[in-house]
Amino acid sequence: MRRPRIVDVVVTVGFVLALCSAGAIQTFIELCRGQRLQALDIFRQKPSAANVRAYEKNLEDFSWVSQKLRHRMQYLQYVMLNDAGEKALPGLDGWMFYKPGVEYLVAGGRAITKAKVGPDPLAAIAEFQDELALRGIRLLVVPVPNKESVYPEKLTSRAANLHGIRSGQTSDLLDRLSLAGVETVDLFAEFAQAKQRQTNPADGPLYLVQDSHWSPSGVAVAARAVVSRLLNRGWIGLGSVSYDTKLAPVQRIGDVLRMLQVPEIEQTASPESISCLQVIHPDSGMPYRDDPESEILVIGDSFLRIYETDEPESAGLIAHLAKELKRPLTSLVSDGGASTLVRQELYRRPALLKNKRVVIWEFVERDIEFGAEGWQIIPLPPVPSGTVEKSSGENGP
Amino acid sequence: MKKQGGIIWALIVLSLAILCISCRGKSGCSAISGEDPHMTTKGTIEVTARLVEIPEGAIFKRELYDYATILKYQVFKVHRGQIQGDTIFVGHYNPFKPRSEAPDRRVKEIGGNLRVFEAGQIHRMALQVPIEDCFMGGIVNKYFGQDTGPIYWAVWTNLAKE
Amino acid sequence: MVFSSYIFLFYFLPLVLLIYYALPWLIRSLGKSEDILSRSRNGFLLVMSYVFYGWWNPWFILLMLLVTTVNYLCGKMMAAPGASPRRRFVGVTLAVAISLGTLGFFKYFMFFQTNLNQMLSWVGVEGLPVLQIILPMGISFYTFHALSYSIDVFRRQAPPVRSFADFACYISLYPQLVAGPIIRYNTVADQLVQRTHTWDKFASGVSLFILGLSKKVLLANPIGGIADAAFNAHSLQASDAWFGVTAYAFQIYFDFSGYSDMAVGLGRMIGFEFMKNFDSPYLADGITDFWRRWHISLSTFLRDYLYIPLGGNRKGPRRTYLNLTIVMLLGGLWHGANWTFIAWGAYHGLLLAFERYLGKESIYHRLPRPGRIGITFVLILFSWVLFRSPTLGDAGHYLGGMLGLVGGDGHPVLVAAQLYGRGQWILMALGAGILLSPFRAHDWSRTVTWPKALALVPALVLAVMAMCSQAFNPFLYFQF
Repeated sequence: MRRPRIVDVVVTVGFVLALCSAGAIQTFIELCRGQRLQALDIFRQKPSAANVRAYEKNLEDFSWVSQKLRHRMQYLQYVMLNDAGEKALPGLDGWMFYKPGVEYLVAGGRAITKAKVGPDPLAAIAEFQDELALRGIRLLVVPVPNKESVYPEKLTSRAANLHGIRSGQTSDLLDRLSLAGVETVDLFAEFAQAKQRQTNPADGPLYLVQDSHWSPSGVAVAARAVVSRLLNRGWIGLGSVSYDTKLAPVQRIGDVLRMLQVPEIEQTASPESISCLQVIHPDSGMPYRDDPESEILVIGDSFLRIYETDEPESAGLIAHLAKELKRPLTSLVSDGGASTLVRQELYRRPALLKNKRVVIWEFVERDIEFGAEGWQIIPLPPVPSGTVEKSSGENGP
Repeated sequence: MKKQGGIIWALIVLSLAILCISCRGKSGCSAISGEDPHMTTKGTIEVTARLVEIPEGAIFKRELYDYATILKYQVFKVHRGQIQGDTIFVGHYNPFKPRSEAPDRRVKEIGGNLRVFEAGQIHRMALQVPIEDCFMGGIVNKYFGQDTGPIYWAVWTNLAKE
Repeated sequence: MVFSSYIFLFYFLPLVLLIYYALPWLIRSLGKSEDILSRSRNGFLLVMSYVFYGWWNPWFILLMLLVTTVNYLCGKMMAAPGASPRRRFVGVTLAVAISLGTLGFFKYFMFFQTNLNQMLSWVGVEGLPVLQIILPMGISFYTFHALSYSIDVFRRQAPPVRSFADFACYISLYPQLVAGPIIRYNTVADQLVQRTHTWDKFASGVSLFILGLSKKVLLANPIGGIADAAFNAHSLQASDAWFGVTAYAFQIYFDFSGYSDMAVGLGRMIGFEFMKNFDSPYLADGITDFWRRWHISLSTFLRDYLYIPLGGNRKGPRRTYLNLTIVMLLGGLWHGANWTFIAWGAYHGLLLAFERYLGKESIYHRLPRPGRIGITFVLILFSWVLFRSPTLGDAGHYLGGMLGLVGGDGHPVLVAAQLYGRGQWILMALGAGILLSPFRAHDWSRTVTWPKALALVPALVLAVMAMCSQAFNPFLYFQF
């Protein structure tokens, strides 16, 4: 028999050792920690397809080797290929975009017609409006444009001459809502006008550079547009609280960057400096706080949460709506859940509808297609005992 | 030849020993009952219950947002406090993570030794109720409309045995 | 289980290799004779291959066992001493009918029902409820493996198998079970009984496996993202559509040839030598040449088990053209129960027939070789649109985009952000460089040298790192 060549032996042994290393390291770590060996979990359960899938996934997700390598590769890809992974898309001048938002615009509704998603948003919104109307409550719907709809020129140089785009799918929904008698605020037009008005670069963009959300300037534009609509329709009048504002600068690493979960990327990125305007009570100087007894309920997603319960607090859309309306509001926020989850939560909190005349429903544009749990029809909560329903004519214009 | 055979058998016996040790996991009563100082002091309710199922799509990795997921439990024993009925619905924050890694800036006071949620597991949990008083984010509830009882919030979750 | 998965690479494969190579020691230590070594190794591979296959869905094992048993028994029937020609014919007919019947039911019945309902609706008749059938993974491949055995035994081109375990091992052998290469029984019959295990063979298997893994996770998966972005877009500029389909051409090559390299490499690690499945297909200078280089195991299978039995080129030119078209149509249908695959097969069949009409030469054969390669590549790109699109309507929409004929609701300018980043350009340039180079992984890996070994280390490290950072991404050919 021919004597083996050293290189063949080295390659063979090296390869087998490399293959064995991950399992051996994991076993060693788990034994040291006194944990049960995860690799043996396969013998502890019925070998069904679902269990096997879960076993495989867990084995990889919790593997020390896999965790160590994952970060490093993602960082390498980011630095060398400008590739931010499957959910983020680097744009121009350091701008970061959330990929599903881009896909929503690019696919133009192809995905929604092919995938069996939940009911049509229109059905859920119209049903919600009808149920509210039975209790004498008005509904104002506020779709918030995706960041890439407002700043396409920051996504690709090919869009350099565009200063805003509108998805056909979004336009279609807005048209159908209008036909169905649902009142909506067109923030697309508002943001386009605001961008044109912005001549001073120091004003800053309407959306954050590294984040999927709007900036304080965007909040201000949206607040003015919503309040203007409420007042024009005569659904509600101005209150009597003259809120004040104070400058509250914050530093923020964008959620698109944080979503990557690669510490090396977060460490190299400089946080964005954001000049927020915190809404405060003129007398006490205390930050704005909601009032459960308010006649206005605002429901929505993280576009309501940013600057409001996040730092600096009381500087988000809710507080600025309150300032413009000169009255405190009630709010219910469900991150990434404005399509269905927030109404499910409203169902569990019937007291939030007490005394209400107007509900403002904010959701981000991409949720038209990708909303968590789709657009389910959720009933309103039963009226709490002892509460008298208003008649629908009580708060007419 | 005999020597080689002996080595192989020794390796097999060693592997089986490791297997036995690892299957046993942490020894002692606390590992079996899921009891620990956090468990007995956090929350207002403490139960041992079986995780009935994990509905399709209920547990997923976070992208931009953090969610709590409602899971259904069959309660065996109530150690502390009171619950309504034998079947309860419990919200777990970001359940794709091991409980020890789940707390973050927004939800700080949770934890436990459970690494992975699997249907059929027995959990000992310290709970609060209702969930609305403890968690303000998105709640993925595949059981919405099926039960009108309160939803519990899992503060501490340990793996236990029946 | 997928070769490019954590569990396969770090648990399944080392476990199989360690036990497989420990078996001689175990047998000696148990005092057993060494003649049972090859049987015990095949038996062990059989068990592990069933675990590998059952990982998708344990119930699928039963179906594979059924096809295996039927073909084994039919083989026995044909190979029995003094078996009459009639008996042999009955044996092969039974094997072919049951194997193809099983494949037909699981792969095509839903397609048939859906189309039947469509036709009924045209005449105003209400359709029948469509039976929902799950397509078992790899059924097209293992059915062809089983058929090759029965037909080879019928033709006396291969000896009947030594035992059921050997046969079941051949059908289920994990390296080639799910997506080929399609290994014909007569090419591995001897290896099932006796095969050599040497350091150089193992090392060459390692090198081919690493190259295949690198092709899959470092090139096919990220380039696939470019193709997905283009094919998912509702409206595209013509340049984007061409870029997208070129990306898909790269993706499918690196994906499938990567899988084949891994399969052949894994086979070498356990002593088998499987055929080469790709030979620089995008350097083909005509469609006939392309099919000599692309999925060679399928094209030779179809040639030997379908084209030649249909009469091949022995019955005149017209019949030859017809045979070519039929074979490619069925080849297309083999890929999947969808009109897009049938159209893809028909397109290739017609191009092949046309080249045959011209004397096995393309209409552009007088051009310099780079020109011939370029035109062939463009013709192949049109076929990949049919292959990649979910429906014929989508294919038409995309082809319209390539020709600048269609618009849509989406925003074509934004597609650029997903197509033309720095990473995308680097990957496409790298892919093109490899495709146009004379590098052939199969041959490169034959002998491992120190420089090659040193080059394999970063390839493996990068591939494993990329594998750990990517989402679940099975091979494209798993769906077939």
